[in-house]
Amino acid sequence: MTHLAIFLVGLVGIAYQIALMRIFSIAQWYHFAYMIISICMLGFSFSGTLLALVRRRIAGREALWLSRCTLALVPAPALCYALGQMVPFESFRLLVEPIQSLYLLWIYLAFSLPFALVSACITLGFMIEKARVGKVYFVNMAGSGLGALVVILLLYRVNPVWVPYLLAIPAAVAHLVLQRRADWLRTWRWLAAAGILLVLVGPRPIRMSEYKGLSHAGALPDAEVLERRDGPMSQITVLSSSMIRETPGQISNYPMGRLGPLPEQIALFFDGGGMSVVNRLNGEPSEAVYLDYVGDALPYRLLTRPEVFIVGAGGGTQILNALYHRATHVTAVEADPNLFDLMEGSLHAFSGGLYTRPEVTVVHAEGRGYLQAREKRFDLIQLSLLDSFNASSAGVRALNEDYLYTLEAMGLYLDRLAPEGMLAISRWLKSPPRDTIKMAATLIETAERAGIREPARHLVVIRTWNTATLLLSKVPLSAERIAAVRAFCAERHLDICWLPDLRIEETNRYTILETPEYFQAISRLLSAERESFYRNHLFDIRPATDDRPYFFRFFRWKALPELWAHMGTEWIPFVEWGYLTLIVTLLQALLACVLLLLPLVAPALGLFRKRGGEIPGGSKQVGTAAVMFYFGALGFAFMFLEMAFIQKFMLYLSYPVLAVSVILTAMLFFAGLGSYFADRYRGVGLLPRTFAALALVSAVYGAGLSPLFAASAGLGEAWKILLSVLLLGLPAFFMGIPFPTGLQRVSERDDVSVPWAWCVNGCASVVGATLGKVLAMQFGFRFLLLTAVVLYGVATIAYPALTRDKLDG
Amino acid sequence: MNTIFAMVCASLFLFQGDYQKERARMVADQIRARGVRDAAVLAAMESVERHRFVPKHLRHDAYEDHPLPIGHGQTISQPYIVAAMTEMLRVDSDSVVLEVGTGSGYQAAILARIVKRVYTLEVIAPLARRAVTTLRENGMTNVTVKEGDGYYGWAEKGPFDGIVVTAAASHIPPPLVDQLKPGGWMVIPVGPVFAVQSLMLVHKREDGTITKKKVMSVRFVPLTGNH
Repeated sequence: MTHLAIFLVGLVGIAYQIALMRIFSIAQWYHFAYMIISICMLGFSFSGTLLALVRRRIAGREALWLSRCTLALVPAPALCYALGQMVPFESFRLLVEPIQSLYLLWIYLAFSLPFALVSACITLGFMIEKARVGKVYFVNMAGSGLGALVVILLLYRVNPVWVPYLLAIPAAVAHLVLQRRADWLRTWRWLAAAGILLVLVGPRPIRMSEYKGLSHAGALPDAEVLERRDGPMSQITVLSSSMIRETPGQISNYPMGRLGPLPEQIALFFDGGGMSVVNRLNGEPSEAVYLDYVGDALPYRLLTRPEVFIVGAGGGTQILNALYHRATHVTAVEADPNLFDLMEGSLHAFSGGLYTRPEVTVVHAEGRGYLQAREKRFDLIQLSLLDSFNASSAGVRALNEDYLYTLEAMGLYLDRLAPEGMLAISRWLKSPPRDTIKMAATLIETAERAGIREPARHLVVIRTWNTATLLLSKVPLSAERIAAVRAFCAERHLDICWLPDLRIEETNRYTILETPEYFQAISRLLSAERESFYRNHLFDIRPATDDRPYFFRFFRWKALPELWAHMGTEWIPFVEWGYLTLIVTLLQALLACVLLLLPLVAPALGLFRKRGGEIPGGSKQVGTAAVMFYFGALGFAFMFLEMAFIQKFMLYLSYPVLAVSVILTAMLFFAGLGSYFADRYRGVGLLPRTFAALALVSAVYGAGLSPLFAASAGLGEAWKILLSVLLLGLPAFFMGIPFPTGLQRVSERDDVSVPWAWCVNGCASVVGATLGKVLAMQFGFRFLLLTAVVLYGVATIAYPALTRDKLDG
Repeated sequence: MNTIFAMVCASLFLFQGDYQKERARMVADQIRARGVRDAAVLAAMESVERHRFVPKHLRHDAYEDHPLPIGHGQTISQPYIVAAMTEMLRVDSDSVVLEVGTGSGYQAAILARIVKRVYTLEVIAPLARRAVTTLRENGMTNVTVKEGDGYYGWAEKGPFDGIVVTAAASHIPPPLVDQLKPGGWMVIPVGPVFAVQSLMLVHKREDGTITKKKVMSVRFVPLTGNH
């Protein structure tokens, strides 16, 4: 029954983690959610440290403590969530209100506790099943795999605040199965008490930051939340207010007095932040005349009745834009199934049935995957302001892998254009300029890769006061098209940043910048000095690639001294917040790990030693350094390899939520299977062979996966999922072997080192998750793959040392 | 009892003196040092008691060089930004000015010391009510606060010599352009929370045409309603 209990505990652990991530993404912002959850995960290591220290006291009573921990786990996720909600934490005020740091600490402590309990249960499971640690690890991984799948599906149906409460059920079952029949009455009493406690606490609504868009809009006098949809991708809130007015690409010089006000709009808030709108359409799209006054209307001035492909259907504004400009047909993809349902359901009438019009096809898919799988050509492919203004400008998306804006993605878009087609991309302007410059660089390099000799003759860049629209034409722009761009911009008072024959005096006329910096930057990108421009720019403006898919990462370390010298403390807002948070997370995690590991390392260093050289809580302990190296290296390596493989498969599968569910579940399940195998076949050469297999698989996958995915892109989604599971299963299987193999070894020789090893591995995993991201951003995923293989090599070398006794033990 | 009362009065007086000193320091170090030269603006910044416009628990920070939260997700802008925006309006004692986004009422109070009349709109009702009280308590009689949507301006009171929008917007509301007098100036920030926003200076020429100029990068909270 221990195995079933550990299985359920594993399920609770991962489900709690995913739910918390959703809750914090709604309450604050994604990058803060990432930081908070990363730190709370150190609860795993905390219990390892604690158990190592109290090992003697609980010796022989591990089963009892496992039972107690599972009982504590029944109310813990919900209670800790409620405790965390008690403090009015505002990440925005961290710099001006010292008390916010205390609130953050409170949240760390509160949310860490359930992780510590989960970890304690698993460690106790290892101690109880000393001879079968591989099997314990297997059931834990299998439970985690199932938990990931269950919670992702659950998040479609329930608000994430309910998840911590629902997790009481598997935790209660885990507790029950550990009890003898004779103890059932007492057990039920305890469970009933936990249940009453949960009822008394009740599900607390998420305390959303008052700085989020939804908080602002909700304060409007006539604001009304019409609907709320929960999903694993985001929570969508539908809000109506007469004061919602949003225009794509920003209307410019719109004669409102003559043409009338903007249409009524309904706002869609994603996780309480990034706002998108749905426009009221009562009759025909020709009513939406204001859409002729936005930057996104430019491609329609140059193309006659095009067939359009839109990435990110969203609230339908770009579909409406295409229809207003008499597109023959619009194909749009939307990755969020909830948004899809809303537009075809409750917002159908308001939006004039945009999603279901005969000349419109909206597909539930991810844009790149959809195009990759088909050979169809379009006259216009459009990606317009897919991220919210706030998220983009604040740099909070810096942490996200984004495969829509890489060189490979642009190459695909260009390939899927009809012979005279155009690619149109709109981006928010950032200050200092970087986003639009990076996108211009990406388009220029894409054109060069596609064999276009003079990209300068294919490129158009215009700007409003806070957006830019970039066009890349498959054929050189004709004189008529160039004249049409000039006329379009003159009528709307838009500034031209690049045209094939643009003169500097034509730039910077309506929204006047200190210098015509966009024109100057694009001129340099098109010149021979591009490389030095990349190198010397204050921000990272080199195009993103599939290996480093971080278009939104602009931060450069070497820019810091320069920013500091020029702006003193005012440099802070110019830093990309997402990246900065990642670094802060890494530093916090490192500090916390040192604190967690110190009580365990101290005796080995001769600190706190009792008389007689005995180590607190321990008897005969294997080499501290060996445990550190072996389990530390494994923690980093597993995380690095997992991250590198997951990103490969995310790109392959068209539906992101499905991709995450399948990948995570398969990865954990097959790793668990590897552990089970390791438990049953304990050969001497198992570890070196595993290392060889992992190195081989990594090398083959590193080189061969992309061509394989390209070749099989046209397969049905079911086949792609099957192929992904099989392909992912192989490395995951091998990745699951080393940890239980090492743990088995230390548990046979030593009764202290199991929690110690667990703690080290936990610390390395948490730091590894953040460090892996930093490395991937800096050097790419291939580097991460290589590093992981090297670390597995380190672990293999350290393995024999695990069998040696510690000299002074 | 009398002794305690005297001590309280004395300490209040001392604090008052401290605030005065802080204000003078703020003007010298943060505003004049950064290039604001308009004498009327400097005098207004030195005379208006900024600490009365911030929450009590943050008063000790009122004259520091950064914005402060005032509740409802709004902030009172950094002193320098208030001064710079006021100077950019190029208004005088005959001017009538519209402010969109009253917030704490501090910007309106600064303007009130310089111009003939200030009309100010705030969409968040509690903030509007609090601003009315604060402005009255500070003796600002030439400011009219109205609860309402700033996007459409205040046509009945226009046209205005200057319009100041104190929260970030996504596009220039056409009604505000209409309510600006020829030759008038409008200052409006555009941008997000947490990051850099551009302060735009909009000028309506005598012939009615519009030019926009990015003046500097600043930080504001967004205009409520995500306009």
